[in-house]
Amino acid sequence: MGFAAGILTFVLAGAVSAQHRISLSGDVQAKISYCKDCHGVSAQGFNGYYPIPRLAGQQPEYLENQLRAFIEHRRTNNIMFNVAHSLSPPVLNALAAHFASLNPPPIGGAPRQLVATGRKIFEDGMPEVNIAACAACHGPEATGSGVIPRLAGQLYPYMIKTLSNWGRERGQNPTIPDTAAIMSPVAHSLNKSQIEAVAAYVSTLRPPRGTPNTVQ
Amino acid sequence: MSFRPTKRQRRWAFRSPAGAALILPAALLALSFSSPAAAQGNVSKAEADAKLRYCEVCHGVSAQGFHGYYPIPRLAGQPTEYLKNQLQAFVERRRTSNIMFNVGHVLSPAMIDALTTDFNELNPKPLGGAPKENVDEGKRIFENGIAGANVPACASCHGPEAKGNGPFPRLAGQLYDYITNKLTNWEKERGQNPAQPDISAVMQPIAHSLTQPQIKAVAAYVSNLE
Repeated sequence: MGFAAGILTFVLAGAVSAQHRISLSGDVQAKISYCKDCHGVSAQGFNGYYPIPRLAGQQPEYLENQLRAFIEHRRTNNIMFNVAHSLSPPVLNALAAHFASLNPPPIGGAPRQLVATGRKIFEDGMPEVNIAACAACHGPEATGSGVIPRLAGQLYPYMIKTLSNWGRERGQNPTIPDTAAIMSPVAHSLNKSQIEAVAAYVSTLRPPRGTPNTVQ
Repeated sequence: MSFRPTKRQRRWAFRSPAGAALILPAALLALSFSSPAAAQGNVSKAEADAKLRYCEVCHGVSAQGFHGYYPIPRLAGQPTEYLKNQLQAFVERRRTSNIMFNVGHVLSPAMIDALTTDFNELNPKPLGGAPKENVDEGKRIFENGIAGANVPACASCHGPEAKGNGPFPRLAGQLYDYITNKLTNWEKERGQNPAQPDISAVMQPIAHSLTQPQIKAVAAYVSNLE
């Protein structure tokens, strides 16, 4: 067990390298394949019974935070609770780094006519109705940064579900407030058509190679 | 949900059943706005509070600042004159920020009065997170300037405790990387209309003269001040 942990640590040291030629240990490889069963063969997401989100290109710090939130039931999802609480910290780290390095094209499929409005809301906000510009935090190309998630290429139905149900799924432990609190007023202020527009817009985005805050 | 429907939304509301859901809360809101609450000018407290909460989405809890995609500055404790000048500069595009241009140009003078007063009165602890190195050197530069490089003491305008005054901003508790960004890129963002020079011109030669290590030192010092 100690030997395997040693190998894991050694391998993980190189896991984030841009070359990515160092092969990940068997444990981590198996775990990655398991995640991809639901999240898509390149973690691009999948329209299962629920929309299962894209993890490709996601900010590692954000991914780790979400996995912890699932474990601690601060974010409600029974399937992900079971997934997450089997992950040891080094495996969690390795997974987050691996997903961050992937960059498949977005699945797409959102209604095209909503994209222009979504772009306007994303870049400029709607100051008359107190809706902040998404770009201020998520970045001009929706790549995210640090704890703030990438939205570029996220699934259209997943974005809608997430924004519409924010307070019902996230920040579920009021005695341990987390970063979910920041989005709560924003999600609450957006109406249905604004949510759909923004969701449609970000679902089309694929920041090019070399964009800041991406691992490519 | 607190918002004022636009003309377009009001027109749309009459055409769709979903839109009816907009009209009732909007009507209630409109009624509440018509009463002269504890307001400044013709801005109701509810409106001002809602706007303040909206600002805090980006500028952080109690406007302490926030690390969004960009470092979003602390507004807490800022002199009202400085804030008003910046809002005007954004709207007139003398200071470049697409997001703040959009924020600024929907604000009425009464709303600006209310907001800037609110921000000025907030006093959270500094957000922190700055590197601890070179704070002493930063303090030296802040208090004494750099004679050889024509850099006056920051304290001479920003105050001995970096709390600012009038048109001079508070630096105490400002985000480290916000300060380093601004000092490094001063003329790329400010004073963008040469035909309308503004007070940002005062900082231009100073920002230009400071070296990167000096900028980092000063930023580290002031970002920890309360």
